[in-house]
Parts: sequence; structure tokens; C-alpha cells
Amino acid sequence: MELKKSLDIYGLFQRPMAVRGLLVCLFILIFQAARAEGETAPDFMRSIGKIYVVAGVCLIILITLFIYIIQLDRKISRLEKRHKNE
Amino acid sequence: MEESTGNVKFRLAPWKWAAMILLVYVFVAGWIVPLNPGIIEVSPDKATAGEMVVLNITGYNSSYVSDASSHRAWLRLTGDTVIEARHVQAWDDRHLTASFYIPSVFPVRQDAYPLTLVIDHGTEGTSLLPNAIFITPAQEQDTADLKLWFQQKITDVHKKAGIQYPFRNILSETIRNTYFHVPMWFAMIILFGISAWYSLQYYRKGQIDFDTKSVAFIKVGIIFGLLGLVTGMLWAKNTWNAYWSWDVKQNMSAICLLIYAALMVMRSSVEDDMQKARLTAGYNMFAFVLLIPLLFIIPRMTDSLHPGNGGNPALSGEDLDNTMRMVFYPAVIGFFLLGLWISELVYRTDRLKRSLWS
Repeated sequence: MELKKSLDIYGLFQRPMAVRGLLVCLFILIFQAARAEGETAPDFMRSIGKIYVVAGVCLIILITLFIYIIQLDRKISRLEKRHKNE
Repeated sequence: MEESTGNVKFRLAPWKWAAMILLVYVFVAGWIVPLNPGIIEVSPDKATAGEMVVLNITGYNSSYVSDASSHRAWLRLTGDTVIEARHVQAWDDRHLTASFYIPSVFPVRQDAYPLTLVIDHGTEGTSLLPNAIFITPAQEQDTADLKLWFQQKITDVHKKAGIQYPFRNILSETIRNTYFHVPMWFAMIILFGISAWYSLQYYRKGQIDFDTKSVAFIKVGIIFGLLGLVTGMLWAKNTWNAYWSWDVKQNMSAICLLIYAALMVMRSSVEDDMQKARLTAGYNMFAFVLLIPLLFIIPRMTDSLHPGNGGNPALSGEDLDNTMRMVFYPAVIGFFLLGLWISELVYRTDRLKRSLWS
């Protein structure tokens, strides 16, 4: 149990299913991107007039805002629960 | 409590609808409007004066084959000092060859002459590539060639019909990031401004509610600032060739975010609520005043890669033409309203939390 706790740097084992899934997806995406950059196709981002840079920028904005909103949603749910208990 | 959760009529404020409509418009228009045709590459990129040179031109978004006879091409030294191509041949939609005779004498004396390639087409319009080819001076100079530079002028250029974004060399499609990266900073600055306003209100009236409000705006402002920083780094990697070039505006915006991050750290280290609120209000107004020299004055005083700094024009010319304005300003308003919306939710959550704790 202690070991598990010390490994859990991102709080993956404590978060609800949806957030956990999202975080795992994001990590996989980042690792994939980092690997892809090192191994093959260094010019992927610059193909087709660098359109993938725009795609990347849009994805970063949308994913970050969604994660933030999901966190906020969880916070409100916790508060509602406490409110009900009182 | 039961009736309020069960049967509340759900109404959304008009400005929230406006935020959604504007952002949908920005994402659709920002992605589907095509780019003007442009030139990606020219080979060879070096030649000697006084010789014939055949340029192989690679286009982007171009349709050179349609109306193939209407192509004209020039190499431009400065202003009206141009030479026209002897012959232009379109091979397919993306490839064109143009043959030039480079005069052996130049009207100005330099070690090397960078020339701009200009192409004009009846329906596709004009496209150009700065520094397309570098000319080394000829061994033997024939002064009769000098008048070749002034015989032809670039006249009767065409403009492509319809709506397009300008094609900028190096940027190409990433010019669309103007609608996503830049509004992050605009939204951040306005959110921090509103936050500073609430801090001032806290100083004047001393109600803890103003503190909750101003902190909600700081939290969301930091998120937008981080988004601006990260999206800017991705854009910079693919246009300036480095995630971080120590450009003055990059540094100053990072410092600005650190100042606000320090504010949040300071807040969490103070235990007494009133003291926390008072310190935050003072620090926050000071931080917003600091933003102005950091983001608007210092970057303009030195050289910068960002447009709008070090003498580069911003929000004007080819970087933001009238077509782009029709998406850019809605993007700024839309992202700001989204920030306002999220800040409002954060404020309501924090207020609820405060009322439950106390």
C-alpha cells in the first residue's frame, strides 16, 4: 500500500474514472509524440504547409480547457455532497 | 432544497451564448478559409550575373495549369528595378519553370544581390518569395545590360477572387494561429485587469467577496497565460526553429506568469483570511501595473521576433489583413468571454466553498 502511494505522483489511483482515463490518454499522446519526434518523420509537423502546428495549438487549448472544466466540475460535486450531508 | 435541484428552469445569459457562437465561428472560419497561393521553394537559389538561369518554382495552393498562358514572372531588386522572365512554363498545378537573363550589371553595387521572385497569374493572383535567388556579380560587365533593369515594370497585377488568408513565407498555414495563440494573451490581460479592478474594490470596501472574485480571475488568467506560452512554443518550434529563442517578449511573458504564480503561492502561505485578502489585493494591483511595461513597453524597445516589436508592424499589413480581422476580433472577444465564463464558475465555486467552511 505504501509503495502504491509513493508511485502515485499524478494521483492516478485516486481520481474518478473519466479524469483518470483522460489523463492516461494525454500521457500516451505526449509520449507517442515525443517518441515519434525522436525516431521518424521529423518533418511531420511541417508537412502540408505546417497545418499540423495549427492542429496542435487548437488541441492544446481545447484539451487544457476541458481538463480545467472537469476539475472544476469535480470540485463542485464534492461541495454539493458536503452541502447535502450538512 | 429539493425543489431547487429538481425543477429549475435553465436559462443562459446572452453573453454566454455569444461566447459559444463566436468561438464556433472562429474555429470554423479559422480552419476552412483557404490560403492564398504562394511560392514554397525555388531552385537553384544561386546564380551568376550575365547568364541565363532557369528557375524551378514549387507552389503552394496554386493551380498553375489553369489558364497557363497568363503567367508572368519577375525578379525584383528593389521597387521598380525588375527584370521580366523570358519564358514561363507551367508543368502541373504545383510546378512552374521561368527562364531569366540576369543582366551583368546592377544599378547598385553589392557583394551579392538577393532577388525577390514575383509571379502573376490571371486568376490565381500575385505571389512572391523574398530572397528567392542570390546573384554573384559577373566577371565581365557589359554596361549596356544596365538598361534591362528599367525596361519592364510590374504592371496589371491580379488579385485572386474570393476570401483567402494571406500566404506568408515561413508561416504558411500557421498564420491561422493568429486566431488561437494571440487571443489567449488578450484574454489573459483583460482577465488580470478585471482582477485588479476587484482588488481595488476590496481595498475600498473591504468585503471578502471582492477577494474571492479577484482570485477567480487570476486563476483563469494564469491558465490562459500558460496556454499562450505553450501554444507559442509549439508555433515557435516550427517557424523560428526553437521552442524558446530567448526572445524579449517570450521572456517578459514568462516573468509575468511567474509574478502571478508567486501571488498564488504567497496566498496559500498566509493563514489568516483577512490578511490573505489584503496582501493579495495590494500585490495584485502592483502585478497588473507591472504587466504594462513587461508586455507593452520593453518588447517594443529592443529587437524581437514577434511582430509589433522592435519596429515590426503588428495588427497591420500582411500579418493581419482585413480578411483576417473578420476572424481575429471575434476570436479575441470569444476567448475573452469564455475566460469570463470560466472565471464566473470558479468564483461561484469558491463562494460556495467559503460559505460551507465558515
